[in-house]
Amino acid sequence: MNAALAITDFPDRLSPMVVKELRQGLRTRMFGLVMVVLHLLLVLFTLMSGGSGNADAISGWFDGIITLVLCVILPLRGFSAVADELKARTLDMLVLTRLSAGRIVFGKWASIASQSLLIALSVLPYVVARYVFGGLDLFGEVSALFYKWLAGAVVAAVVIALSTQRQFWLRAVIIGLPLLMGGCGMASFFMMSRMSAGSGVTITTFSIFGTGGGSVSVPVILGLAVWVIFFCLGLAATRIAPAASLLAVGKRSVHLAVLLILLLLAWATSLGAELTVVSSTLLSLVMLDVLTERVNEVPSVYAAFYRHGWAGRVALAFLAPGWVTGFAYSLLLTALVVVQTWQQRGLEEAQLVVISAASMWMLAALLQILPTRHARDLLPPFIFLWLGLNLLVTLLAYMLMMPFAMKGVTAWFTCALPPLMPVGYATAQAADKPAFLQLGLWSALLWPVVLLVAAVVAWRGTRSSRQEAWRMTNE
Amino acid sequence: MSSSSHAPEIDRSQPAVVVDDLHRSFGALKAVDGVSFSIDHGRVVGFVGANGAGKTTTMRIMATLDSPGGGQVRMGGHNVVHHPSKVRRLLGWMPDSFGTYEHMTVLEYMDFYARALGFKGADRLRRIQEVMDFTDLTPLADRMSNKMSKGQTQRLCLGRALLHDPQILIMDEPAAGLDPKARVELKNLIRILAQEGKTILISSHILSELGEMCDTLLFIDQGRIVHHGDAQSMMRGTETTGETLVNVQIAAEPAKLIEWALTAPLIKIEEETKRGARLRIQATDDATLAGVLRRMIQDGLPVVDYHREERKLEDAFIDMLGQIDKGKLKTPPQPLPSKNDE
Repeated sequence: MNAALAITDFPDRLSPMVVKELRQGLRTRMFGLVMVVLHLLLVLFTLMSGGSGNADAISGWFDGIITLVLCVILPLRGFSAVADELKARTLDMLVLTRLSAGRIVFGKWASIASQSLLIALSVLPYVVARYVFGGLDLFGEVSALFYKWLAGAVVAAVVIALSTQRQFWLRAVIIGLPLLMGGCGMASFFMMSRMSAGSGVTITTFSIFGTGGGSVSVPVILGLAVWVIFFCLGLAATRIAPAASLLAVGKRSVHLAVLLILLLLAWATSLGAELTVVSSTLLSLVMLDVLTERVNEVPSVYAAFYRHGWAGRVALAFLAPGWVTGFAYSLLLTALVVVQTWQQRGLEEAQLVVISAASMWMLAALLQILPTRHARDLLPPFIFLWLGLNLLVTLLAYMLMMPFAMKGVTAWFTCALPPLMPVGYATAQAADKPAFLQLGLWSALLWPVVLLVAAVVAWRGTRSSRQEAWRMTNE
Repeated sequence: MSSSSHAPEIDRSQPAVVVDDLHRSFGALKAVDGVSFSIDHGRVVGFVGANGAGKTTTMRIMATLDSPGGGQVRMGGHNVVHHPSKVRRLLGWMPDSFGTYEHMTVLEYMDFYARALGFKGADRLRRIQEVMDFTDLTPLADRMSNKMSKGQTQRLCLGRALLHDPQILIMDEPAAGLDPKARVELKNLIRILAQEGKTILISSHILSELGEMCDTLLFIDQGRIVHHGDAQSMMRGTETTGETLVNVQIAAEPAKLIEWALTAPLIKIEEETKRGARLRIQATDDATLAGVLRRMIQDGLPVVDYHREERKLEDAFIDMLGQIDKGKLKTPPQPLPSKNDE
């Protein structure tokens, strides 16, 4: 028997990880079941649409079921993608092959995205059928299908990033809590708006993410989706990569390049205001990643920088793996976004960017002060701290600021903590806003100073590794 | 079984494995505390120690899966920290958990790892076939990889580890949970690999098996190497005591033997037995032991049985740990004896 010759299902040029994941994924009962049920429902809807002679009649059902499959069910299949490898300890065996951590997580994502694409393509005949029945914009429907697939691909990347956490409950909470927080936030905002409408006080939305509303062009949306996927997969890869890997260099270089492009686009196009919001969002996400990287103590990592002379040493300060250099890098990115925001939306908004960044530095500083600094992975405590703080802020906003807002008094005490400031600023009297921001800014700057002290201490801890790296470089 | 196209470079002027003053801590726990040893090319070495002694941590550092807190490890002349990718090409790693995948046949499993190791086209298919034949997996090619017996899964795991023809094999508890037949099969495979000149480090808690498979044994306790030597000398206790226990039976009254032993040099009586005695000879070399037998015969003792007593390796290990605790035995880390020394 010549067993090996019997295997020709996937060509050589496909990534091994994609081949493995596709072989496994396409065979699962889940995939088959989803495919069959989806098509049964779509046949039913299409027949109903044909019967009524108007495709619009069942559009909601049609879109709903496809969205559910492409954006929820299929992406959630990645929920345990990396965790399962960690638990079965197969990840060790993968790391010992020529597959990098990046290729491993990309393979897992690409497999889910491919399966989604397969399902999205299988839906096309129903779209055409509904077009034939009338009342349908074919191009619009196909575009909508593409965006649903893209949204699903983004969700899959987020889910795979979370799947690097071993514990099921941790992953469930990290996915569930933001949904809860979002719901609470929206309810809170809605209630505050209603109450302030009655009291005559104007509620201003937190303007970093709030305003804009103009149309953002398709390339920007596509670019953003690609970046989010890259970000999430990078986040996942960092969590499983061997200590000696230099993933941070590639990731941080790309993030820096993206922010520079956004800066240029904001300057050169009419989308400046919207792109500033995008940059601020990107900054927060990147900070989440770089401020939670473990400090690296592998000499070869530092030696890779030292080999490039003074330029390497400058790059080391910003691009070497670990939260210490991540802090320096976040200062650089914040400066870029502040410049962009100042240019496009004025000084007040730029100050709010600093306050927003200070919230992240505060969390990172707390992580280093608390026993969490010994955690194997700083990402879960960071996320929990962030979620907890936001929950606290929402509750405080209800309990403390409502009386102030109702009386038309500025809640100055919110300047004490950066995460509270945006809420305090939103409810502040118009005349107090500039002074509020000034005070808030000075208060916020305390946290990068605290983090700087922690960073210096942590950096000193890597001295022996850096000395060894220096010796390696000079050998 | 060798694959020439993917054979990685190896510096044969240096030992295959050099572990020098290795340290690794997890918080306050010192998992590895100054471990040093070296292994020459083509040796089969057993790595012995209780659970938590530091075996797996040491092996994981050797396999580039963990980083040392101090000291260094060189595999085939390459530092595991500075050149992990070179080291990975030299070694095959068999963890204690076999790690198979759902919805994947044996052939697909091997195909995936062959692709991941960089094999392409016909070269990949040929190599998969070679390894599957060697590990006797060909009849199981279409079987789901997670639906096999432990012995079969273990052969699959060995096959995966051999795909890139590694010069150094690290096997963490490979015999754990296997039935006797599977153990014999594993032993045979390891013997063939050793004959091909591969350097093999095997950890196990089943010492008797290691004694049969390995040229030498490394004993680790509380993160430190407490002894290294060959299994035979361990079982005889010669390395730790400098003495040999000999069981003698004669075709006469045992008293005759006792009387003779009382006057003989280098010999102490351990105990009298039904048909002779157990004697403690203050020597370990074969020539002295043969000389004692010759003198017995010359002095007219009708010797019908004369053999060295061997302890179980487990007993030897426990004895040795006891002597270390009492401070009687200190074994500074030294290189393991090379084949040329024998």
